[in-house]
Amino acid sequence: MKKMFIDIDYGFTPKFGQIVCGDVFLSEKIKNENRLIAVLSDGLGSGIKANILANMTATMALNFTINDQPIERSAASIRDTLPVDPQRKIAFASFTIVDTEFDGQTRIIEYGNPQFLVFRKDKLLTIDHQFLADGEVSITEFQTQIEDRIVLFSDGVSQSGIGRKDMPFGWETDQMGGVISQIIEKDSGISAYELRKRIIGQSILNDIGKPSDDITCAVLYFRNPRKLLVCTGPPYSKNKDEEMAATIRDFEGRTVLCGGTTALIVAREWGEEIEVDMKHFTSDIPPISYIKGVSLVTEGILTLCKAAELLKHGNYEDVDRHDPARLVIQELLSHDHIDFLVGTKINEAHQDPSLPVELEIRRNVIKKIAYLLEKKYLKEATLKYI
Amino acid sequence: MKKHTVVICTGTLCHVLGGSELPSLGQSLPEAWRDLVNIKGSPCMGYCKDGAMQPPFVEVNGELIQEASVSKVLDCLEKHIAHGTKEK
Ligand code: FES
Repeated sequence: MKKMFIDIDYGFTPKFGQIVCGDVFLSEKIKNENRLIAVLSDGLGSGIKANILANMTATMALNFTINDQPIERSAASIRDTLPVDPQRKIAFASFTIVDTEFDGQTRIIEYGNPQFLVFRKDKLLTIDHQFLADGEVSITEFQTQIEDRIVLFSDGVSQSGIGRKDMPFGWETDQMGGVISQIIEKDSGISAYELRKRIIGQSILNDIGKPSDDITCAVLYFRNPRKLLVCTGPPYSKNKDEEMAATIRDFEGRTVLCGGTTALIVAREWGEEIEVDMKHFTSDIPPISYIKGVSLVTEGILTLCKAAELLKHGNYEDVDRHDPARLVIQELLSHDHIDFLVGTKINEAHQDPSLPVELEIRRNVIKKIAYLLEKKYLKEATLKYI
Repeated sequence: MKKHTVVICTGTLCHVLGGSELPSLGQSLPEAWRDLVNIKGSPCMGYCKDGAMQPPFVEVNGELIQEASVSKVLDCLEKHIAHGTKEK
């Protein structure tokens, strides 16, 4: 079975008048098991108290699942730990646990939350829910495919608009499913971030701008990994130039070139022109250029060093929109797998003893960027030297 | 109408060795020259490989300027405009 990439995002809006949201969403990728676990918990009531209940529930549910505890036991432990509301005698917090492997094998455990939805492309799937003996916890197992989306939400979403003349029972599943189908039909590649933003936006609209409960929505989007090739530095030997240019041409996905000499080689091999963008410039790094067939062309070492610093501190949105380093970061972060092809030729000009050894810097800065992408931004990065 | 062509090196070395302000040349052009001059950028023009020459480098109608600065380029342009020498 082919490995998929899971694009995941969530968002929330607290009940009108509250500062804190009583819903909590947690997720964790367990890389060596090729597994992703996500939990949405809705604490009883709203505000701080609900948030604490939901947080405890979500944390426990996440950890029990990671450690492969049987669900009956997990549910019982959660129930024993958290207080039951003394007046209403109803439970502390509801939860939905998604436990999915990157090949698509998926298990969803639900307790008290509105039922999750699954879309195969733009079609809403009907899925059988199996209830445990207590009649409250349900377990659903199914196989996801590429272009499937799982949508989780708290009852703030499904009950939004409740009591309105045109939607007396709130935002019912059929209606909601129809709206989401339409969104996907119009934009088949819509990201988890965009889709959950649209769903939350619609819920708030249903409540006429004043959410009557905490609204939370999470989307898991199973898709083919998006691949990016970043090429920097001229190859060690000149007879590898052709190979490098061909690798870029044949790459399935977007490509970025960082380095003037690298750009010159590619342009020469392809018989294309290089055009430097003189409209936008920042004083600390040289401007970008254009070569037909390459998504982004920047200067090398200065741009990469700046990008590495910005990635490290996460403050790339503070710099100008046209800043070449920010453009590089945008490419990096909008992809899932990033291949780095690093040329190892020593640049004669930069070997002036008064200047630092450029090759070492190049290798180190690429290693640093690759490390940050994996650890901080949960991407996959590979390094190849040429 | 043929224009005067300025080519600014935007390579790494020229940039760090004093050339970082050169791309803003267009903003310093006198109004009257705007239609007469075409400003382009170039990746490393190769001059920096010659240790005897001093970056940053700019070419005006093919004439090389070493240790280029905005004012040096403007002076050179003035000369070219006065003489009416234009590159094809
Ligand atoms: S960087 Fe300008 S000539 Fe080499």
